[in-house]
Amino acid sequence: MTKTVAAALAGLALSSVHAVAAPLTLPQGMGGVPDIGAIPCEVFSNMLVVGSKGTRLSLLTWAEGYYFAKSGKSLDEILVAETNAAENYDFQSLTDHFVAYCAANPEAVTREAVVSLGDELLR
Amino acid sequence: MTASTIANNKEGRSKLWRPPIVGVVTFVLMFVAIGLAHTMMVMIEHQLGNARTLQLSPLLGFAGIVMLWYAIKSKNEAFQTWIGFLSGVIVWMCWVEFYFMWYGRENWGMLPRMDGADGFAVSGTWPEYMILGSTVGMLSLMLCFYTFDKDTRCNMFLWFQNKLGLKDALGPSTKKAKDRNYAIITFMETIFVTWFCYVWNLLCFDPGLVGRQDLFLAVNMGSVFVAMIWGGFCFTRLIKFKRTSTALRYAIPVGNIIWINVEILGKFGMLTEIWVNPWKYSMEMTVVLAAFLSLILLLLLAPKKGSEVGQWRRDGTRTR
Repeated sequence: MTKTVAAALAGLALSSVHAVAAPLTLPQGMGGVPDIGAIPCEVFSNMLVVGSKGTRLSLLTWAEGYYFAKSGKSLDEILVAETNAAENYDFQSLTDHFVAYCAANPEAVTREAVVSLGDELLR
Repeated sequence: MTASTIANNKEGRSKLWRPPIVGVVTFVLMFVAIGLAHTMMVMIEHQLGNARTLQLSPLLGFAGIVMLWYAIKSKNEAFQTWIGFLSGVIVWMCWVEFYFMWYGRENWGMLPRMDGADGFAVSGTWPEYMILGSTVGMLSLMLCFYTFDKDTRCNMFLWFQNKLGLKDALGPSTKKAKDRNYAIITFMETIFVTWFCYVWNLLCFDPGLVGRQDLFLAVNMGSVFVAMIWGGFCFTRLIKFKRTSTALRYAIPVGNIIWINVEILGKFGMLTEIWVNPWKYSMEMTVVLAAFLSLILLLLLAPKKGSEVGQWRRDGTRTR
């Protein structure tokens, strides 16, 4: 019995060393990806073909969280802080930056597109 | 194809144009028509661009209704059948698929479903098809309407009425063959058969309902089994038809039911869907289109029963 318990505990310990958390998945049936900021730009560009507005909004929402974490400000506050930025940026122009970045860099990850826009907005 | 070509086609007999040739040819025609309808849709989108397609789709669909109006006024059953089918395809494409495309992609900003082991492949279930799958309730209530319609001549609904003991309750049909307008009948048949088969496929593909593993496989294999049995049974009836127009109308659901298998095979990556990529497979699609047009020509030139071309009514009286 002691040997059996010891073997079971050893097996448990070994399996936990190699245990990896399953990747995050969305509830089945939903559209989109679990982490829009962590997908290849090529995938983002493919999603744009059949779901342009939703895909743009998805990444913009991710970006707003990123910009808030960096600056402590909401996107509206960031745009207002920039001289006349609110007049220059809208949903289309903000997300056009992501689209153009990913089209030019298909092997990059989408968060790099977000960082690229952030460099422009948070200078 | 002109009205006069069909209308002036004389009543005649043929040693060749009889069962099972009539049924086989009409089935092949309708089966290929489904693939070519997909091709037509992608080509319209490609030529006009996505934005302009969505803007023009109400007008294009209205053109289909104008065609239907013209066919309804005709007394030629063959012409009514052809135009009813064609206008049904156009209206389905423009007023259903393109509308759902606009609502899903542009108006509501839906995201496409993703596929593949890493979840990074855009699946074929685009926003418009996610919406279409959700119309199963509306489709079911419309099918109830036809189940309880004493004037329907659809064999499937007549079979339902028989099995449900509705014949006495509904009473006898009040319409005779001469009262039927085959343009609107074929139009509605095309719409509902297309709708039914789309929903069948989409529900079987929905990971929210069947997951992506064993149940998904089992449901779709079961779907193939049912479609083969049902389509095969209907095909054995189709090859007994003598009248071209009747065979054409019966071939619409036969072709669509068998096409269920094509969609499933495509979903499992077992065949290349050349009909949705005509630029890459231009030679193949040109050959298919040429064969399809040749089949249509053969059908137009084939001898018809007098009642099909407006010379005789089915009750034996002459119209002209």
